[in-house]
Amino acid sequence: MSRQAAALLVFVLPLLAVGEEIPKRPELLRFEPIVFNPPDARALRVALKGGGVAFIKEDHTLPLVNISVQVRAGSWLEPEGKQGLAGLVGGQLRRGGTESLSAEAFDERLDFLAAQVSAGIGETSAHASLNCLRDNLEQSLTLFVEMLRRPRFQADRLALAQEQALQAMKKRNDESADIEAREWGVLLYGEEHFSNRFSTEASLLSITRDDLVAFHRRYFNPANMILAVSGAVGRDEIVRKLEAAFAGWPSPGPPVPRVPGEIRPQAPGLYRIHKDVNQGRVSIGLPSVMRTSPDIYALEVMNEILGGSGFSSRITKTVRSNEGLAYSAGSGIGFGVYYPGRFRAGFQSKSRSVAYATQLVLEEIRGIRDSLVSDEELDTIKRSLIETFPSNFASAGQVVSTFAADEYTRRAASYWTSYRDRIGAVTKQDVLRVAREHLVPERMILLVVGDQKQIELGDSRHPATLESLAPGGRVVALPLRDPLTMKR
Amino acid sequence: MKHAVWSLLLLSSPLAAAPERPEIAVEEYELDNGMKWLLFPRRDAPTISAGWLARVGSVNERPGITGISHFFEHMMFKGTQTIGTRDIAVDLRLLEEQERLREQMRAESAAMRERLRRGEIDDLLNPEGQSPRYKKLERQFDALVQQQRETIVKDELDQIYTRNGGEFLNASTSEDWTVYFIRLPSNRLELWCWLESDRLLDPVFREFYSERDVVFEERRLRTESTPLGKFDEELNALFWSAHPYKWPVVGWASDIPMYSLAQAKEYFATYYAPNNLTGALVGDFESAAIKPLLERYFGRIPRGTHAVPEVVTQEPEQLGEKRYNARAETSPTVRVYWKAVPFVHKDAAALDLVSDLLSGRTGRLYKGLVLERKLANEASAFTDLKKYAGSLGVEVTVKDGQDPAVAERALLEEIERLKNEPIPPDELQKVKNQAKANAYRRLGQPVFIMFQLLVYEGLGDWRHINRASARTDAVTPQDIQRVAAHYLRPENRTVAVFLRQEEAPAADPESDPQGSVEE
Repeated sequence: MSRQAAALLVFVLPLLAVGEEIPKRPELLRFEPIVFNPPDARALRVALKGGGVAFIKEDHTLPLVNISVQVRAGSWLEPEGKQGLAGLVGGQLRRGGTESLSAEAFDERLDFLAAQVSAGIGETSAHASLNCLRDNLEQSLTLFVEMLRRPRFQADRLALAQEQALQAMKKRNDESADIEAREWGVLLYGEEHFSNRFSTEASLLSITRDDLVAFHRRYFNPANMILAVSGAVGRDEIVRKLEAAFAGWPSPGPPVPRVPGEIRPQAPGLYRIHKDVNQGRVSIGLPSVMRTSPDIYALEVMNEILGGSGFSSRITKTVRSNEGLAYSAGSGIGFGVYYPGRFRAGFQSKSRSVAYATQLVLEEIRGIRDSLVSDEELDTIKRSLIETFPSNFASAGQVVSTFAADEYTRRAASYWTSYRDRIGAVTKQDVLRVAREHLVPERMILLVVGDQKQIELGDSRHPATLESLAPGGRVVALPLRDPLTMKR
Repeated sequence: MKHAVWSLLLLSSPLAAAPERPEIAVEEYELDNGMKWLLFPRRDAPTISAGWLARVGSVNERPGITGISHFFEHMMFKGTQTIGTRDIAVDLRLLEEQERLREQMRAESAAMRERLRRGEIDDLLNPEGQSPRYKKLERQFDALVQQQRETIVKDELDQIYTRNGGEFLNASTSEDWTVYFIRLPSNRLELWCWLESDRLLDPVFREFYSERDVVFEERRLRTESTPLGKFDEELNALFWSAHPYKWPVVGWASDIPMYSLAQAKEYFATYYAPNNLTGALVGDFESAAIKPLLERYFGRIPRGTHAVPEVVTQEPEQLGEKRYNARAETSPTVRVYWKAVPFVHKDAAALDLVSDLLSGRTGRLYKGLVLERKLANEASAFTDLKKYAGSLGVEVTVKDGQDPAVAERALLEEIERLKNEPIPPDELQKVKNQAKANAYRRLGQPVFIMFQLLVYEGLGDWRHINRASARTDAVTPQDIQRVAAHYLRPENRTVAVFLRQEEAPAADPESDPQGSVEE
């Protein structure tokens, strides 16, 4: 129908004259090309005196200033037995006051200034951010840097945080979605991977204020920081302010240990976890590759066609749109910085149709390995990735945070300058090759969280059993973990 | 389109001054057919955030068709006379045949509901309870659907947008409004006009019945399979006595499987006429250049033939406190809700500040119940001001081992203090400062500005985006005391207490608690 017409669209002239006819089909419309070149990271980069790097982009659309800081620290650095420490340091940095101000006074000051300050420590990086009105940048920045540099870690706030964390721990099995996400990580990376060393009641209660102080002192210094600044402040002005605020910050200790790269996926198979809900949650997948793999462009295109681009992708069309079996069905792929990323196809469906929908997803995975994708599918996805490329730089804030993240993960600027060409070069044969190489059904892990008895009953209109779909014929029933000890 | 060649560097102007007030210069513009437009050019990036609103939501429904506004939103993605089919004649014929079968299936459903009333079956959705005739009709219907797939172009609207660089294509339905939106490269605005006016002019509701199943899965996902979804739904139905806000936006479970194509068509004719629609564009365009496009594409849609029915039901004055006690998979929680005011009401700004005074880490609830009295671990307050009525609510997560009744009393004492003691000027200034900064923050991203313009329009007045700040500034300490005393009365509230559900009976006897492996 429209394939030939669609292929002609790209670089033709505009039409906008009044009184034009409305064309019969949208493919007949012509669009002026947009020329877009990604901004140059080097032009925005400043090495701060006294350590640290900042990316700065002035933008006076609004009278606000945004400063975000990434610090090389994360839960991979938690000492054994102190799981939960990184999260507490991040939380108490923000909530525990500063050397000169009690937690109460610090919160009151910031709230009166209407400054938004956050801090947190995740698996592989620590973050803090300030968003304030230009008019009180001086005061807000002083408070923000004091928080980063001289946190008080007030004892009563730490005790409260431990109580809050303990209560939150008890909710670990309440949501089937939480169970699925947690166990998916364990299945793909292994119980020993640092991201799966969960805090427990015992580890949480063993953490003392001294542990927080030591963790902070070890990792929080300008040499470990990358900043992204955008908004209503001049570059020279903010550089001056930051350098003054950071001056005399004790110099860094030994280099920060690297994030461990090893993963130990569990054996392929069907893993079933019982939860009393009327909709089962299904994940199918395996570890993918590192970001440095030359296959990432073809894998990205392949995933978009298979399940990553909503209604334009196969899994969504089949499971949702054709069969009405799920509201959300699709796939995603990530590429690792420190250890391999993940490929995951997934959906949620009423218990009785879980097995049939799983079968359909596995058929789609097999399908993209068995034959070449169509020209139209390839063309749609490549154009989408290329046309939406400018969105990576849609605002000053996005520009600097993209470059700051690249600096943190040491991604070369050439990623952005060559991205559209690399996507443009992906062929149908490439898509087939990476699907065959990376999406091996026999190596996959299939996780099903839900009412296993109802799921077993299946759907009489579409008989299918989960067991028959188990990769390698292996079926494992996993009991839920005790939320406070994380033992099964 | 003046910016034939768009470049990030050319357009940045570091010396331009930021606005002194959180306001934006939106142009309001109306077509002859009554379709209103809100235009705000802003050149952050070579994109346009585009959306339109239908002034319809679950508030316009009635028992029996609850959720149809939301379901209808899904149907608007199913194509038109042109989009979504290779052969419209075959397509329409199959749709008619499908409808005839569905008529018979509906008759069969009526018979099954009769059996349900007599206690002969216990669940209409359970396949084992469905009559043989129903199952036979369903198989015939499935065959027609298979046939139709030969002419359907699957999800073509999405594919066209995708290959043209569209992002975030989606829609959203609330009690009061339905919004459809996307972000596109700025050279694709005419494509948007083409596709959106086409689906407003000539939609075809194909794949109606499979989409009903999708919506039911959405209901399972958000409401039925989450720890609090069903409880929230029941609590909401308790809170409102008469108002149509009492049913869920997604619809009652019994109603979703019963929508008919005829109902959808009637709904479209009534609520999707251009005189009930508002469009919004924010991004890289010039208003003068795009008005001819809007005229040409959207101007061709005929005005509705009958008036949009008014929502007339008023929530009656509440005479006594309502209580809701439940056990759920959640931490012990106390929530209190009071009936408040509609979004455009003159007391709205003061009520928003009341919730701000209560909320946050320096708010009265956190300081009083979490830090000082150590009864709770979390505390928050919120307003939910809809088009026709609203509420103010507070929630505290009670510490394990503390008595929820004690936490409830402490919470209500904080409410009494608001009524009885004047607000210190600094405390009021604090929440006003935050409201003003947040008003700027709301103007950060073009796609959010577009969305807010439409949502405020749906709630009664898009100008709220510019007026909110001045209204907040005008609130006095006396206003705070007055609205607290007037609205936060005991007989005007609904109290909900959630206790953690007892542990489920120990592991299923058939499953091995140590985990079993079958090779």
